[in-house]
Amino acid sequence: MIISLNWLKQFIKIDMPVDELVTLIGARLVEVESVVDIGAKYVGVVVVKIAKVMPHPDADKLHVVHVDDGGVTPNVVRLENGLIEVVCGAPNVQEGLVVAWLPPGSTVPNSYDKEPFVLEARALRGVVSNGMLASAKELAIGDDHDGIAELDQTMAAGTSFAEAYLLNDYLLDIENKSLTHRPDCFGIIGFAREVAAITGQTFVTPEWLAELVPDVVVAKDASDLPKISAHVEGDVSARYQLVALQNIDATKKSTFAMQTWLARIGTRPIGAVVDITNYLMYTTGQPMHAFDLDKVMAVHPQHSAELVVRESREGETLTLLDGRTINLSNSDIVICAGDTPIALAGAMGGASTEIDSTTTRVLLEVATFDLYRLRTTQMRHAIYSEAITRFTKGQAADQTAPVLAEAVHMLRDIVGGEAISEVVDVETESEDELILSVSAKHINAILGADYSIDEIAGTLARAEFVVAHDGEDTLQVTAPYWRQDIHIVEDIAEEVGRINGFDAIAPVLPQRPFRAVMASEFEQTRSAIRSMLKRSGANEILTYNFVSGALLQKTGESAEPAYHLVNSLSPELAYLRTSLLPSVLAKVHANHKLGYDEFALFELNKTHTKRELNDENLPLERQMLGFAWSATDKVAKRSSGAAFYQAKHFLEYLADSLRVNLRYEPLHGSKVPEWLALHATVYEPQRAAVVHAGDIAIGIVGEIRAAVRTNLKLPQAVAGFEIEAELLHAARMRTSNYKPLSRYPGTTRDISVVVDNATTYESVVKTIQEQLALLPVTTSLVPIGIHKKTDADEKTITLRISFVDSAATIDVAMVNKAVDTISSLRY
Amino acid sequence: MNMNDFAQARDHLIKEATASDEPEMYLRSAELQSLVSGIKNVAAEDRPAYGKALNQLKQSLQEIVDAKAAAHASAAIVPIDVTAPFDSRETAPARPHLLPTEYGSAHPLMSELERVIAIFTGMGFAAVESRQLDNDFNMFTALNFPEGHPARDGYDTFRTEEGLIPPAHTSTMQNRILRAGKDGLARGEAIASISYGRVFRNEDVDATHEHTFYQVEGVYVSETATLANMLAVLRSFFETYYGQALKIKTQPGYFPFVEPGLEFAIEKPAALGGKPGEWLEMLGCGMIHPNVLKAADIDPAKYRGFAWGGGLDRLVMLAHNIEDVRHFEAAKLNFLRKFV
Repeated sequence: MIISLNWLKQFIKIDMPVDELVTLIGARLVEVESVVDIGAKYVGVVVVKIAKVMPHPDADKLHVVHVDDGGVTPNVVRLENGLIEVVCGAPNVQEGLVVAWLPPGSTVPNSYDKEPFVLEARALRGVVSNGMLASAKELAIGDDHDGIAELDQTMAAGTSFAEAYLLNDYLLDIENKSLTHRPDCFGIIGFAREVAAITGQTFVTPEWLAELVPDVVVAKDASDLPKISAHVEGDVSARYQLVALQNIDATKKSTFAMQTWLARIGTRPIGAVVDITNYLMYTTGQPMHAFDLDKVMAVHPQHSAELVVRESREGETLTLLDGRTINLSNSDIVICAGDTPIALAGAMGGASTEIDSTTTRVLLEVATFDLYRLRTTQMRHAIYSEAITRFTKGQAADQTAPVLAEAVHMLRDIVGGEAISEVVDVETESEDELILSVSAKHINAILGADYSIDEIAGTLARAEFVVAHDGEDTLQVTAPYWRQDIHIVEDIAEEVGRINGFDAIAPVLPQRPFRAVMASEFEQTRSAIRSMLKRSGANEILTYNFVSGALLQKTGESAEPAYHLVNSLSPELAYLRTSLLPSVLAKVHANHKLGYDEFALFELNKTHTKRELNDENLPLERQMLGFAWSATDKVAKRSSGAAFYQAKHFLEYLADSLRVNLRYEPLHGSKVPEWLALHATVYEPQRAAVVHAGDIAIGIVGEIRAAVRTNLKLPQAVAGFEIEAELLHAARMRTSNYKPLSRYPGTTRDISVVVDNATTYESVVKTIQEQLALLPVTTSLVPIGIHKKTDADEKTITLRISFVDSAATIDVAMVNKAVDTISSLRY
Repeated sequence: MNMNDFAQARDHLIKEATASDEPEMYLRSAELQSLVSGIKNVAAEDRPAYGKALNQLKQSLQEIVDAKAAAHASAAIVPIDVTAPFDSRETAPARPHLLPTEYGSAHPLMSELERVIAIFTGMGFAAVESRQLDNDFNMFTALNFPEGHPARDGYDTFRTEEGLIPPAHTSTMQNRILRAGKDGLARGEAIASISYGRVFRNEDVDATHEHTFYQVEGVYVSETATLANMLAVLRSFFETYYGQALKIKTQPGYFPFVEPGLEFAIEKPAALGGKPGEWLEMLGCGMIHPNVLKAADIDPAKYRGFAWGGGLDRLVMLAHNIEDVRHFEAAKLNFLRKFV
């Protein structure tokens, strides 16, 4: 929303510099996003009177014009009589007109922000034109370029144009969002009231706006007046008012002054009737709409103006002013002539009752509409007008009457219109006056401040609250009708704090027993995972929860269990991912392309599926750890072994640091829980394992399936894992497994066993460990090698066993015997 | 050529291809070519049907080729001993390796989040991670946004077909935190907790806007909580975070779940090259609206509280002078490895 500083000054005194005012508004009312100085555009532009118009000696369409600038302009060539000669091509040039003159050296205002066009004295077909007479468009007041702008006749020649029309102005761009609850501030008067209060002034609402039951004078000579009425169905409109006017010349323009007010805040002046309704909307926040009365009668089956305000019905259509024909739903509000919709209430008028150059009688509507329905109308039909922006904030029902009366006055004064009907007034609900009992103690307890009861009363009175003292510490506060956001004492506390400035309140820390709090245990585990993987040379990444159907397809995942967004930004972001690893794998190719030959990426994040709900009946959120290691062929050739063992190695390193014992079972042929089965599609089943902590399956580690590698442009050597981080966390051993070091020397033995290819390393180790457990000493075991000739059916597993006795030097004979036993075992 | 002849030729091709070890050669076969060129002899009205049948045939052949290739590929796959620590080799043992520690990095958003959590827990606030998929009640209704209220529009929420919402703010945890702390309140213990996590807004992405970002939110409820307390807690956090004394200022803000509602700014710290008079808007805050307390069965006549919420991404961007918010979710190593 744009607020003109000079428009504000029509209602309040503002002495401080604009930057101070903006700071104060920011601290106590609303954020000002930017301030634009428009006065600079109009430097040098002068109001002149056309004294004489003569034909151009050498051009049919041009005139030589002598203008009177009151003698104020320096350094300009004047005629003997002091007038200035200008050549003008406008069809409406005429002696006696008051117009805007751009003298040589001045800049055409509407070119100021683009490529400034600076005028000079220049010959036009032999006659020197000293500057030019400007059109409204050139003055940046609307887009009328059909002729020179005809200023208001009351303006004296020689006045600076900017001063005459208060265009030495600043425009404040207001951040609307934080005024969502303040419909009153969407009008200049409401905004001025707030500025008055925060600058310590007491605001007085203009009399015409304070008069809630105003008189509207009805002309006596109204002829062939149709029946005018309104019927409101249900709760679609709290207040609906209509009045008919005649003698409306829709081709007539509003005053140039009004046009300048509208144009500077970005609204194109159109004609007197529309301009007046816009002007009053910007002044008060109350939008209104004018129908062509005779067109309404033409639409109405009984040729009357009996209107119905109701919810639209499925299947109805309406052609709007902008030419669109929309399908109505059953929650739009429509204005109907009889049963025929003629306007989309609060949003846009209909084409069938539009005012045009033939209009002579209008039906003026001032109303409020249910903001909830308007909000859906706004979104459904994509209408973001100034009017609906105001309606959806919830304008006060009491305000329609004074605004309607003022509109009638202005139409009379500016276009000569006359009211020809009584005001139709339908009020379906009236707000009960709310009186709040407010104590200084309560206000100060909320704010942590120390305002006296008189300070509080004074503050509220400045913003036109009605305040009555009730005992020593208590006030009876009535909010003015335009403050429908005030319901509870907290709202009053906000007013007091805000108007006096929250920054005046001294910060004080709360007093409470000091007791240490730690991040949750899971959060600590997650932090440990992060730091261990970082230490292992991996890089933590974050990727979107939203994935494409294409990614699901490429990784073989089903879209069926994935939540689907109805309003995703693009098809790329349509599904909520059910697993992390595809997102991580999708980032591998780009990093190889950046020149990284070997790397490991991991992400800690959540996944969701439709299959699992929690005890709140919401989707269960699984905390996952996704990891991928990848190496280009060049590097993979140098490194050794299957990619599977790379991924497993990182996982084992992590598990050891977390003190978790993991067990691996081949994915191929394993039965896995349903949630985990959803993850399995990216892996090559023959070269992947289900990861267990104790008896619980917590994830999968493995090489990536060939088709997935092709689809995601991954190299051959790529493997990864995805682990449920909360299950990993739960499996952490809480106690230390440290044992005191022995003071006595121990010994080691390397032992090789030859086993069948199908025999697993784990079973070999288990068998040996069972044997070692029988010894009265501490033993430990590390792998040394696994050798296998190509195409052989057997492999040799070599292990190094350490033997330590905590109480004595190790008994070598016992060790030798144990090794002999182990060597003779069958595996 | 009529459709009958075509069907015969088709069945023959498919049969041959299925039996073949090199089915891809049937995609280039003269037989198929003649079917393709045969279309010009087909009556005009039959051509669409013929063309469709031809495409189906090509697709069937391709499927046969793919299936064969997949079968070949899986036959080439050697199962491995998943329980082994490393690969078996003929000679030297094959050892997997970690990467050099100096390559490793934590995500800057996550490191910063850990730091923020550390400061708040140090100040006595519990820390709870927020949900990434929630319902309308926790997103709006519990927070004093009436059904259909225009204030809901400001949050640009995504929705799933089921009406679930990837939350647009971490305030979705407020009702849960308040409920969980209710018993403590009765024992005279304040509710003091932050919630943190990933949030989502339906807005187009550019250098300063992301649809996915992180927030940290806090609530404090006691019998005596005041707005002055809130200003002090927030100032204290930022002073610890930036390691220096800071000036603060506020401006009115509208959030349905607080009353009064404020926007909170700090004077730009020297560490960020700030000069006096430069301000950084940091978060929104306010006194918890009585309706929000009521929604958690806490008596607003007896207890008051304050709440705040702000973005994490911005803190990190300011700290490192990061020029483009899109780096955070791009997962590119040239960015990430700056944060080793």
